[in-house]
Amino acid sequence: MTNVDVDARRLGQDERHDTLAARNTRLAIGEMLAVRVRRFDAEAGGAALQDFQVPYRKWMRVLDALNWIAENAATDLAYRWFCGSKMCGTCAVRMNGREVLACWEAVEPSMTIEPLRNLPVIRDLLVDRSPFDRKLAELEPWLERPTPYPGFPEPLSHKDIKNASKALDCIACLACYSACPVIGLGNLTDFAGPAPLVQLGQTALDPRNDAAKVARSLERTGIFNCVSCYKCEEVCPASIPIVTRVIEPLKAKAASLRPATATHSRALRAIVAARGRVDPGALVLRVQGLRALVNLPRVLRLFMRGKIDPIKTFLKRKTPAAGAAERLLGRGDSP
Amino acid sequence: MKVVSTDVAVIGGGAAGCYAALELQRRGVASVIVCKGLVGKSGASLFAGNLVLSGRALGNTEDHARNTAEFLIKYHNQFLIDQQWARRCGQWLENVYYPELEQAGLYLRRDDDGNVVTSPGKIRSVAANVQGNSGVPFMDLRRKQVIRAGIPRLEETAVTALLRKRDGSVGGVFGLNTITGEYVVVLARAVILATGYSDRMHKRSTGTREMSGDGIAMAWRLGATMVNLEMQWWHTNDIADPPSWQRMQVYPNPMLGSEKSARMVNSLGEEFFNQQQDDPLAYGPYTVQLKALAKQVHAGKARYDGGYFAGFDHCDAQEVDAYTTYGKSYRQLGLRFPQDLVETAVTAHYRQGGIDVDTHTMRSSVPGLYVAGGLGGHSNGLIGLATFDGRVVADGVTADLPQLTPCDLPEQQVDTERRRIEALRVARPDGVSPVKVKETIRATMWDKAGVEKDAASLRAALGDIADIRLDLLPRMSVSRTAPSANYEWLDAIDVVNMLDTCELIVQSSLERQESRGPFMRRDFPRQDNERWLVASVMKRTENGFRFEHRPYDLSIFKPDFTTKDNLEVAW
Repeated sequence: MTNVDVDARRLGQDERHDTLAARNTRLAIGEMLAVRVRRFDAEAGGAALQDFQVPYRKWMRVLDALNWIAENAATDLAYRWFCGSKMCGTCAVRMNGREVLACWEAVEPSMTIEPLRNLPVIRDLLVDRSPFDRKLAELEPWLERPTPYPGFPEPLSHKDIKNASKALDCIACLACYSACPVIGLGNLTDFAGPAPLVQLGQTALDPRNDAAKVARSLERTGIFNCVSCYKCEEVCPASIPIVTRVIEPLKAKAASLRPATATHSRALRAIVAARGRVDPGALVLRVQGLRALVNLPRVLRLFMRGKIDPIKTFLKRKTPAAGAAERLLGRGDSP
Repeated sequence: MKVVSTDVAVIGGGAAGCYAALELQRRGVASVIVCKGLVGKSGASLFAGNLVLSGRALGNTEDHARNTAEFLIKYHNQFLIDQQWARRCGQWLENVYYPELEQAGLYLRRDDDGNVVTSPGKIRSVAANVQGNSGVPFMDLRRKQVIRAGIPRLEETAVTALLRKRDGSVGGVFGLNTITGEYVVVLARAVILATGYSDRMHKRSTGTREMSGDGIAMAWRLGATMVNLEMQWWHTNDIADPPSWQRMQVYPNPMLGSEKSARMVNSLGEEFFNQQQDDPLAYGPYTVQLKALAKQVHAGKARYDGGYFAGFDHCDAQEVDAYTTYGKSYRQLGLRFPQDLVETAVTAHYRQGGIDVDTHTMRSSVPGLYVAGGLGGHSNGLIGLATFDGRVVADGVTADLPQLTPCDLPEQQVDTERRRIEALRVARPDGVSPVKVKETIRATMWDKAGVEKDAASLRAALGDIADIRLDLLPRMSVSRTAPSANYEWLDAIDVVNMLDTCELIVQSSLERQESRGPFMRRDFPRQDNERWLVASVMKRTENGFRFEHRPYDLSIFKPDFTTKDNLEVAW
């Protein structure tokens, strides 16, 4: 058996891309779709699933199915949309458990449509966008020039602004915000979430912005809570490489501008560079320091479960991979 | 009921409304933006594909500057435009608009060597990040500027009526927060209407969901004068299916970094339009395309609702993908790009006409009521033009402010409006749903006041509108009567505005007895510069309305013929 090269970062995207032709041709015109919609009305007794039979139209989008239902079957269905052409970013829903932009995504023969997660549901598929709006405003996602504007057109090349330019494709549909498992943890972390970070990235990754201003914004993002799971990239209807081109560059910026916000990542990187492997015990020591003593019961639990191994940490400092790790990562501790 | 007091109530959160509010703030004047959708995320400004360069900006030559002005006056307005306003606007775009946007952070697309990428040809344009999507970062920037400036926003709030002060001038608005169901009154010294120009009034329309002719209907009810409401623009290249994509355009404009642009073929596969070859001056060749299509329709080789195709099969994918979004919709439909063409259809786009304004101040004919952007009848509204209006109206209102008194809560007007609105939130056993009434209106407008019309079809449209008023309007019914997040209720409120606005449009269409640019009358196929190179001004009277004709200043450009078959006129 031979190994197949798989770019893990493109897994979800490739799947969707490969089946686009099929998605648009597998249904015959007039064929019935089984559509199940999660409805919610606080005044009428909470949530319920409602089933509809919707006749397929050529190249039908999820939004067309919702519009058909609102015109013919449930005229009181509440859902938000404005443009129908992937610009306003207000019609995102979950279809069969996956975040999609309703106006952009082809229907499926059988689909369950639910509101986005991680935002309060107002009614049916209509969510309250204000938690996102508030977080974004707190990050002050705008440009502050450290030097006066030199006049139009100012010197700037696309190379300088490549990552910010990717972020500029964002339509703030909040699909990623719904898909993010860290946001799903609620207030356990202070993570701003992918959508606010992409919006911030539009100016924070812009070389024209003032570094001190960017640092102040980044301090409020809790960005190192991101676990790089790529869920956000997988669902982004604008195909923005959110982790690779926005969050990772923002993390690098945060680590260099405000090293204190990146203690954990810098420690991890330094340990891998020095030892050629992750050493959880060393990580606990470097990140927690003396606080490890205060958290002694927890440290003991980690030891009992084999998560940390003091012998390895203190005696077997290097693995044979240390040379390669050092070559790749350097001795510096910036992530 | 929530009552908010401010200096100026700005109705609309697009390019004109946002800029008006920002400019007012720079002049120390407080405002509140009331937006039926979300500021910067609803309305037509979002659809700006790219930004036309004006004057000598960015290496434009004298010829480029002249071509741009000629394009705006001929191709975009068929001479129904105040040419001196256009001159002022062009100068402002060149000297203020681009520097200001860039200073605020708008990224105009560069190449890797740092050159701003432009489209080639006789008129040049640039893109905010990527062509086809420029309105998104543009309006996103405006939204953030508004947030940063601390200008209050009342979003997803539908204004349903303008309120008068004791002296009869306009001094506030009544609205409905469509999410909470709460009523809102904004009291001000003046009101700026900036609700845009592309309404969802035809079966196929480019307007966003919430656009239903509210600005025109509300201003007319207060007696504001209208102009050229019949001058309706059409997109010729919008994707035919699915219905939600009715405004998804196969942009025909010149492409950034390429010598080519989209081409169109009829049902037999014969090419009938290619901008670069057919009319290089037609930078935004919408009317030129429409006329080419009309000839195909007359020859039985296409329909206005489909049966013809558009695409980029004469281009390299890389060439199109370099700076545009154009390939994305093809791929999303599972088509091969650029080999496959897509079936396209006509879609009602924006209206050239609108509320009659004084272009120096943006005053309407009603004291206290100002207008900015596409809703005005002085020009159609490219995003730069709409933005210029925001500047002009801010100057106009600021200059008038010492004479404009604050407004006391007009309790009787508020009470009357509340009762009118509440009567639309009723469940009836034999009722008809508001969305069905909307669809009926749209079908009438499409069938009888569509691309080509005549006196008989227009009179039939008026008959339909009267029937809808008599038969359907009183039976409109909602299935859920709670006020919060009740889109049926909002639809019912919209229906009343749509009927009023459609009636004005159809009456205006009957009045103009010629064909001009995108306005095509079967019974008057010739463009008539002798009689109809005039503003068709619709004034409200005690028992209805009357039309007056006002000549245009032709000091910069004038047509070179008196009458001609409209289909043979290039623009």
